[in-house]
Amino acid sequence: MSLLLLAGGGLALRLCGLVLARGLSAQHPLIAWATAVSQATLAAFVLFAFLAPSGALAAVPLFARAGGVALALLVLWLAKGRLLPALAAGALPVWWWG
Amino acid sequence: MPGSIPLDAARAALAAPAIALAATFVAFGAACAAAGIGLGWTLACGLLVFGMPGQLVLLQAGGGLSAVPAALFANSRFLPMAIAIAPLFGPWRARTLLAAPFIAVTPWAAGLRSLPGLAVEQRLPWFVGFGLVCFAASAAGMVAGHALGGMLEGGAQAALVFVNPLYFAALIALDLRWPKPRAAALCGMAAALPCLWLPPGVALLAAGLLGGSVAFWITRRG
Repeated sequence: MSLLLLAGGGLALRLCGLVLARGLSAQHPLIAWATAVSQATLAAFVLFAFLAPSGALAAVPLFARAGGVALALLVLWLAKGRLLPALAAGALPVWWWG
Repeated sequence: MPGSIPLDAARAALAAPAIALAATFVAFGAACAAAGIGLGWTLACGLLVFGMPGQLVLLQAGGGLSAVPAALFANSRFLPMAIAIAPLFGPWRARTLLAAPFIAVTPWAAGLRSLPGLAVEQRLPWFVGFGLVCFAASAAGMVAGHALGGMLEGGAQAALVFVNPLYFAALIALDLRWPKPRAAALCGMAAALPCLWLPPGVALLAAGLLGGSVAFWITRRG
């Protein structure tokens, strides 16, 4: 029952968003604001996952998480924006010290 | 050729996006198995909810009815995400609603980057194709994680969970050259710091609303 309520609520939020944007262009202030809020939420999610994680990640020392991020971004830059090597490199310190 | 668009989307998804998603869902499947929850509920939760923060709230509460408002609140970002992506599907038609089940962070982030480069009639098939591959990767991850169960502990589980935020961090880093995404990312991170002391379900929404609104105001003025 709780699963169906949560799934239905999530779908309703998505449908509401699609209907609310009906007839609006990509340049409309509501669209620009919603895009900024979504992108800011994603950035905040990433920061929370690195600085204050829950579950299995919480047992990993902060230096390992920070090292993983730094290593991933370094490899991303060296590999000219290729994501997979960056993800593999970034996960290594967390796996090792986890 | 329009018929190959979903396949193009599937190819785009079957790389870092699918791997990052599958890794997270392996960890979710293992956590469900460790909590004594069956594979059927695990798969239903992952695919019907398709929003990890809300899934975790529900799992940690043992699937209780009282956890539904908090879990829904944790996934409330679906609303601005749907508003933001809707115009990219072109003139509004009823079939635009077919995109709804796939509006989650991974397909949404990929859609924001890829849809503007496609012809308008190709965008919805592309997004649905991408989303279906994300669903398949998530399901495969949950089945694998549930089968591994307690064997997946410590560093391995943490590394799997870590891949998902790492993937989004890489996408954000790649987008920093564009003024609006850069402003949103920097303001979102700055707003997240004081929100660290808020309850977890509220903190993410508060940081997104605060940071996003400030970024919107800054870019409108500039």
